Amino acid sequence: MTPIELDPQRDYPLASNRPELLRTPTGKRLDEITMQAVLAGEVAAEDLRIAPDTLRLQAQIAESAGRAQLGENFRRAAELTALPDEKVLAIYNALRPQASTEQELLDIAEELERDYSAPLCGRLVREAADVYERRDILAG
Amino acid sequence: MSTMGAAGEEPSVTPRRSKRTEILENRPVNLDGFVEEWPEVGMVAMDSPYDPQPSVRVENGVVVEMDGRTREEFDFLDQFIADHAIDAEAAERAMALSAIEIAHMLVDPKVSRDEVLAVSSGLTPAKLLEVVKTMNVVEIMMAMQKMRARRTPANQAHSTSARDNPVQVVADAAEAALRGFRELETTLGVVRYAPLVAIALQVGAQAARPGVLTQCALEEATELELGMRGITGYAETISVYGTEPVFCDGDDTPWSKAFLASAYASRGIKMRFTSGTGSEVQMGNAQGKSMLYLEIRCVLVTKGAGVQGLQNGSISCIGVPGAVPAGIRAVAAENLVASMVGLECASGNDQSFSHSDMRRTARLMPQLLAGTDFVCSGYSSVPNYDNMFAGSNLDCEDYDDWNVIQRDLQVDGALRHVPEDEILAARNRAARALQGVFAHLDLPSITDREIEAVTYSHGSEDLPFRDVLEDLKGAQSVMDRGITGLDIVKGLEAGGFADIAESLLGVLRQRVSGDLLHTSAILTPELTTLSAVNDPNDYAGPGTGYRPTGARWEEMKRLRHVVSARNPEEEVG
Repeated sequence: MTPIELDPQRDYPLASNRPELLRTPTGKRLDEITMQAVLAGEVAAEDLRIAPDTLRLQAQIAESAGRAQLGENFRRAAELTALPDEKVLAIYNALRPQASTEQELLDIAEELERDYSAPLCGRLVREAADVYERRDILAG
Repeated sequence: MSTMGAAGEEPSVTPRRSKRTEILENRPVNLDGFVEEWPEVGMVAMDSPYDPQPSVRVENGVVVEMDGRTREEFDFLDQFIADHAIDAEAAERAMALSAIEIAHMLVDPKVSRDEVLAVSSGLTPAKLLEVVKTMNVVEIMMAMQKMRARRTPANQAHSTSARDNPVQVVADAAEAALRGFRELETTLGVVRYAPLVAIALQVGAQAARPGVLTQCALEEATELELGMRGITGYAETISVYGTEPVFCDGDDTPWSKAFLASAYASRGIKMRFTSGTGSEVQMGNAQGKSMLYLEIRCVLVTKGAGVQGLQNGSISCIGVPGAVPAGIRAVAAENLVASMVGLECASGNDQSFSHSDMRRTARLMPQLLAGTDFVCSGYSSVPNYDNMFAGSNLDCEDYDDWNVIQRDLQVDGALRHVPEDEILAARNRAARALQGVFAHLDLPSITDREIEAVTYSHGSEDLPFRDVLEDLKGAQSVMDRGITGLDIVKGLEAGGFADIAESLLGVLRQRVSGDLLHTSAILTPELTTLSAVNDPNDYAGPGTGYRPTGARWEEMKRLRHVVSARNPEEEVG
């Protein structure tokens, strides 16, 4: 994606001020999600999701508005758009206390990095593995 | 301890009490529980001798010491806060300021919100505690007035049913939306009912005054699933706790919760965390720390996770700080801490904590008068007996009192008086819309008799019984068949409720843009996003910031009974 400079004052909310930047994960524009299209069966649940590029645009807005952590969360979220719902829930459950061994967490981190190009999420899971080990909240 | 009645002693008699004492004894406030402080177990609001002293040391951009502990001694909250919440670059300079100096910045209208945020981003939990400890309740309110993230205050309601009756929920949700609430929350008595009640809430929320966001409080994974399907619009019951053992008892860690936060954002779903003073002592492991110190750790975990906001203000533990000295001051302070580190604050005033009308009103004042992102989280839109969050500090029987207080003080609590005919029409239409949706989705039917009853009802006791077993089968089938928000849209359209269908589609479409993911975001009835990005709080002293004026003030002047000044026989409404 070509870098786009966003100004929170001018461009937010994107739906009203920069709709041309927005696409569903299936490539539709916002104005294509109409009642007619829904009734014609041309809109599926997957069309009502956010695309990773959109999350990165919103991360830019959050960061420009001085909210670094919120931006970081949106960047992790952009990575997670590639994961199926069940996978997301499974990783969440694996991160609960006493739910995983260190190796299991490291395997998840590797899978995130290798299969889903999700280095930020991978780093979060690696960090958890390290802290859980030190604080004795790994499984087993 | 002692025994009475040795030979020759007078028999004991109850000492005579005054009539006044008797009257005072019988006042509702004496049904409330009060307890002395016990710092060793954390039964202390905001001033424990075991709270740490503020400190910070940064080496190579890493916080290596915080509040008297070195990195090796950090528990998992310390580490998460040090690595994710605190801006290491700002820390040493910010921490060098005295608590009094920072508190002065908070109350001085000449110091901007952004200037405060630049300092607070470098403060440790113990320092934030020290700052708010220097402030009395009025100063806390002055600071909140400036630090609240969104300029325009809003409000959230609970919409639940003691019988988990979806027909009740759809009607009360529609009425609550009409009265001004911008968020609606439900939960269940019987958890398996959740899909039907969540659908009812979503339909009711769009039926009369659209753009209301809905949530269903459930176990984390189930709540996420309903959200992913678009049956709910946002999530809030993502709890965090202030000590490591209690966090683990909640079956989570700051890392699992941070991952969950990203999961929600990855589906375009707004969410906030929940925490509150008193939860750690209630769950038996406060480690001798004050309730507020532990709550401040929750606030910073939330910030570090990159979550836009927090529901706090003790919430379901309000009886605990409510029982100790300065407990309600601590509750106001915890709301302020959330706002002063830049988070959205949904500021409690929810679970009921007092039998005294005076006391529950006093508890509300700091948030109502200063204005918060959501004054209540939430206000019960149903009678107390139907409130499945164990009652609320305010309920539907208080609507008129609330509206009068808004008008008396010219303070915007985000509600309005609505004439009865409009309310009846909204309740009836919402119930008919749900009837259509249930028919379209082949769910247990809603009868015309139920619709007639719910139009005029107050609570679940006024409604015909539903076939619970059939409803639960229907609820299961919603999950099994993979029904989504889009199916509700189609059901509304098929039932002849094109405008409600269009509104719900409009709400679902918000996920694509992600505008609602930003701090303090709500949707207006025109489905425009209003958040701290495009509606930032600009309070800078008298004559500035949000004040109810114009059309909104005219709306606030209307009550159930207002008479004409020229003709006292005539009601002007």
